[in-house]
Amino acid sequence: MKKIATIILLAAVAVTMVIMTPETSTMAPAADPAIVLSPKIPGDAQFGPLPPNPTNEQKLLAIQGDFDIYSWNTFIALNWPPGPDGNGDPNKTIGQNGDNDTVWEHYRNVDSVFLPGGAKPTYTGPGTVPTQCKASYKPGMKIITQVGKTPTVLTAFSQPFNTGPIIDQNGNYTRFEILVNKPMFDYILQNTLYSKAGQKVFSGAVKFPCGVLNGPEGAIMVKAAWKVIDPADKSRFHSQTVLVYSPASQNPKYPASCSTKTMGLVGLHVGHKTNSAAQWLWSTFEHVDNVPTEADVASGNLKTKYNYYDPKCAASKCPPNQTPPRPWNPTQVSAFHSQIVRMNMFKGNEFAFESAAARNADALKLLLGVSSSSVWKNYELISTMWPTNTGQCQATPGDPLGTPAPNFLANTTLETYIQGMVPNVSSNCIECHNNATMTTPVPSDFTYVLQRAQ
Amino acid sequence: MTTPPNNGGSAPSEAVVQDFANMSAALMGFQASFIRPFLDPVNLSGIFYQFAVAQVGQTMMDALMSAFDALSKQTPPLTAQQIADTLLEVSSPTPSNQALLCQSIIAMWYLGSWYPPPFQKDGLQQVISSQAYTKSLAWNTAQAHPMGFSAFPFGYWSQPPGPLTDFGVNTGGGQ
Repeated sequence: MKKIATIILLAAVAVTMVIMTPETSTMAPAADPAIVLSPKIPGDAQFGPLPPNPTNEQKLLAIQGDFDIYSWNTFIALNWPPGPDGNGDPNKTIGQNGDNDTVWEHYRNVDSVFLPGGAKPTYTGPGTVPTQCKASYKPGMKIITQVGKTPTVLTAFSQPFNTGPIIDQNGNYTRFEILVNKPMFDYILQNTLYSKAGQKVFSGAVKFPCGVLNGPEGAIMVKAAWKVIDPADKSRFHSQTVLVYSPASQNPKYPASCSTKTMGLVGLHVGHKTNSAAQWLWSTFEHVDNVPTEADVASGNLKTKYNYYDPKCAASKCPPNQTPPRPWNPTQVSAFHSQIVRMNMFKGNEFAFESAAARNADALKLLLGVSSSSVWKNYELISTMWPTNTGQCQATPGDPLGTPAPNFLANTTLETYIQGMVPNVSSNCIECHNNATMTTPVPSDFTYVLQRAQ
Repeated sequence: MTTPPNNGGSAPSEAVVQDFANMSAALMGFQASFIRPFLDPVNLSGIFYQFAVAQVGQTMMDALMSAFDALSKQTPPLTAQQIADTLLEVSSPTPSNQALLCQSIIAMWYLGSWYPPPFQKDGLQQVISSQAYTKSLAWNTAQAHPMGFSAFPFGYWSQPPGPLTDFGVNTGGGQ
């Protein structure tokens, strides 16, 4: 069976062959994968050697470690200060001045890809500016906006499966955005998948490009969650001054509006299709102050303040992980504050917890080495979901999901209410995205964004 | 991510789980590498082994594994079918408790549930876990999927299913 193991073995053989070639006999073996401060987005994960005679758990821990290193290198590169071309500027370093503009925020927001009337989009240039935002808009300003009537995907303030918004401890609704990188945009453009009409005439299977180790990146989707922050808290968050757009609603009834807010990044999902992951690699990061874990709550090991949890409110008065009561009105400050706890979704997959904790410690050391005031030190990897059984840029026959590891993975800001360990109900990035289609009944290669075509 | 989760009780050794997977594959006509893949984040082999031990006791499971070990080392080597026929005592009208345990192990893999063997006092018929249900092998044998859970993408029903070998079934070269 074509598995990650095959890739690891092939990589080991390739390294050996390089070492044995006379011209390169003095070359050292390829270094084990490591988290590095680099603006280069990894095209794929790099695999280190397995321990001798490993158990199943040891194999999974080792390879999870390789994928978590990939995730951190991706996070660092995506959050690197960009140069004029939008790519990471090698003359700058992430967090050297505390906070910085980022590469991924120069990716194309999907609301500027799927335009009214199915118009042809461009990768650069001004994005879509809602009428209500035009008076406050300045060139280059980020706008977090409604992205279309697609009830089963993230909208401006709701979550997958219409499970509801998440409201911070100040009563403000959390906002979301989805962006795609140039290779993903180009594939959509070249195949006219940006419009319903184009999707209708598209024949064959949707196949986004795969990233290659030490080569080009594949299709990348970034989903970000933002909360309103006090300007005094900017030192703890990657933040932006943002135009927050709320579309008009009939129930409850309120008009469209737009306001300028200081927003802090609280969640970041990165999906990347690579040669070793036809089902995409799913890296998910959160702000360290978001929520306590179930174990933290049980042991009383709590911080004094969280973004989405009040440690002073007893479970009897503030039951955890409850959907806010309707009506949901993001234009007003809510009396309801979300009381969110991170559920343990790694039972039987403890390697995922162990690996993320180790890689987070490594990354923290690196980021602090740049600057003790780096805002990036306040972000942690929750885990990376990867397929354990997959071919080179294509699924193994009979196993379209690729048997993901870990079995479940949720970001508390993006899949707040579908945490858990129930198949087809609890959050599993690959399982959920495998159901995605275009506006036609054709699978869309693990992305829901094509449903936004007009 | 501050306080680690509780890891639970101790797990059986890798060798024991692999032996159990090899025996299960022989009993059911599946590929051992499908039952226990190189990377196994679901770990049904380990879960089912521990579950069966909890039901019938370590002594009885050790005896079954020893019987399988002896059969798998015979010269000339026995086929998987011969090993299964021997363990299941197919020619006996009154199979032993060990053979009845084999029947329960087969049912566990195919249906994700424990059907207590007749000798198990107060045994409870039960679904072992949600993943045991969705990953149970009856679906693979039918080239299908359980109700409420499909790994296949939208529109798969308009295509003929893949060959049995794609579903891990050991067809002995045939289809």
